[in-house]
Amino acid sequence: MARGALRRVAVLGAIALATALGARESQAQNAAIAIVTNSRTTANDLSFLELRKIFLGEKQFWDDNSRIILLVRAPVARERDVVLTKIYRMGEAEFQQYWIAKVFRAEVSSKPKIVYSSDMTSELVTVLPGAIGFLPVDEVGPGMKVLRINGKLPGETGYPLQ
Amino acid sequence: MGRIRGSFATGVLVIAALASGTPLSGQGLVGHEASPVAPTTILGFADVNYVETERKVDEGFVLGQLAGHVTSGLTERLTFFGEVSATARPDEYRIEVERLILRYDFNDQFKLSGGRYHTPVSYWNTAFHHGLWLQTSVSRPEMIKFGSRVLPVHFTGLLAEGGFPLTTLGLGYAGGIGNGRGDEIARGGDAGDTNQNRALLATVYSRPASIFGLQAGGALYVDKAPAEGGFDVDEQIYSAHLALTRERPEILAEYARIRHEPDGGGETTDTDAWYLQAAYRLPLPVDAFKPYARIERISVDDDDPLFEPFGLDYKGFLVGVRYDFASLAALKLEYRDERFADVDEREKSLWAQVSFTFGEH
Repeated sequence: MARGALRRVAVLGAIALATALGARESQAQNAAIAIVTNSRTTANDLSFLELRKIFLGEKQFWDDNSRIILLVRAPVARERDVVLTKIYRMGEAEFQQYWIAKVFRAEVSSKPKIVYSSDMTSELVTVLPGAIGFLPVDEVGPGMKVLRINGKLPGETGYPLQ
Repeated sequence: MGRIRGSFATGVLVIAALASGTPLSGQGLVGHEASPVAPTTILGFADVNYVETERKVDEGFVLGQLAGHVTSGLTERLTFFGEVSATARPDEYRIEVERLILRYDFNDQFKLSGGRYHTPVSYWNTAFHHGLWLQTSVSRPEMIKFGSRVLPVHFTGLLAEGGFPLTTLGLGYAGGIGNGRGDEIARGGDAGDTNQNRALLATVYSRPASIFGLQAGGALYVDKAPAEGGFDVDEQIYSAHLALTRERPEILAEYARIRHEPDGGGETTDTDAWYLQAAYRLPLPVDAFKPYARIERISVDDDDPLFEPFGLDYKGFLVGVRYDFASLAALKLEYRDERFADVDEREKSLWAQVSFTFGEH
């Protein structure tokens, strides 16, 4: 009897844990994408056009004349898909060809730095002056600045990277 | 060899980072990832062709060019760009330094560089360089083909360039002074100018934010070029371009007028050259295929003092299809119908090309 009750408690506990983890994962999957920069960057608010020009490598310097260092998450991350779709308006192949051509034409000094995890994004944004990257908003940590886009912060109505 | 190259690249980065006073490591990150200096990047392009033609040229398999491109940050604002090609000839491989540029970026609006460039008097010349995989068609338009005498492909000198990316029109510019054409007018004056008159060029373009992938612009090029008769010719080139580089559709069009006047007076002549190319990537599930077509003309004045000896008149039409069978490789099949100045009738050709890129993508 006691063993049966223990088993029921264990099963219920497992279900509760799985539900909680699933809810957290679902929340992460739906989280808005925050545009983050090094905390010393003078920018606080970008227009979506300005954000797009930065991610396309056409605007390469901040207004204080420091160089912009662009960080882009490696393939298969959800936040990369959002950025490619909403900012670049490109598929993976088009994105790859765009940067090969951009470097080959000497229009940029280098392609974006590729980051392989949210932790790597956080660490590079923290350590590199002028760095700009993107993260799910619930993974934004201390030591970095979340930019407003068109005056909106992630989660606010009208934020373009929901 | 790979170890030597890797050590060299690491050494360059360490020196560059030390020079800029930037830490190489931070919070567990090492090497170029934690450096604001652009890393050394190497890209390669190559192509292999097969041709059947009515022209009196060699047929069969034709090895194209092997082109290597390196970009390396020396400091946060100082960058080296280089491009070298190896081209198969009947008796040798010709090695050519295509581009060699050292550029300092002051800001978005002003970048100053020196070296050898592809002359920004033509869109195609600066958009595709020697990366045949980047261009949709097998070859370049006749007016700006490798070794072209119609437009000066190379330019050695100084170039100032910049842009205003946040303006509605997305304006950009370049202005330069350099050596211009050499004694062989198809080549730039790499080892020094052939006369005391430097070439000047200016170009402006617009990339409007409202139409992604669109670029429209024009250029002016002024030089004094050496004619076959041993005298100089004043040369002015006016060009315009329109490029819509989205895949559905892709439209490229260029026009150039080349005006010549013998130094010291004489008849002024005009040569007109243009092409129009259109392509369209098919929808899923056949989106690996991109059909394309191009029409082009070069009309040289019979009395042109610089071009007349070379027979540069040309009419051409081509259709083809590009098949991207891998993300970094393409097969192109092309049919051409062309008329060159030295023959009276049209000549037809079939080309197949495999082109690809490799390196640190």
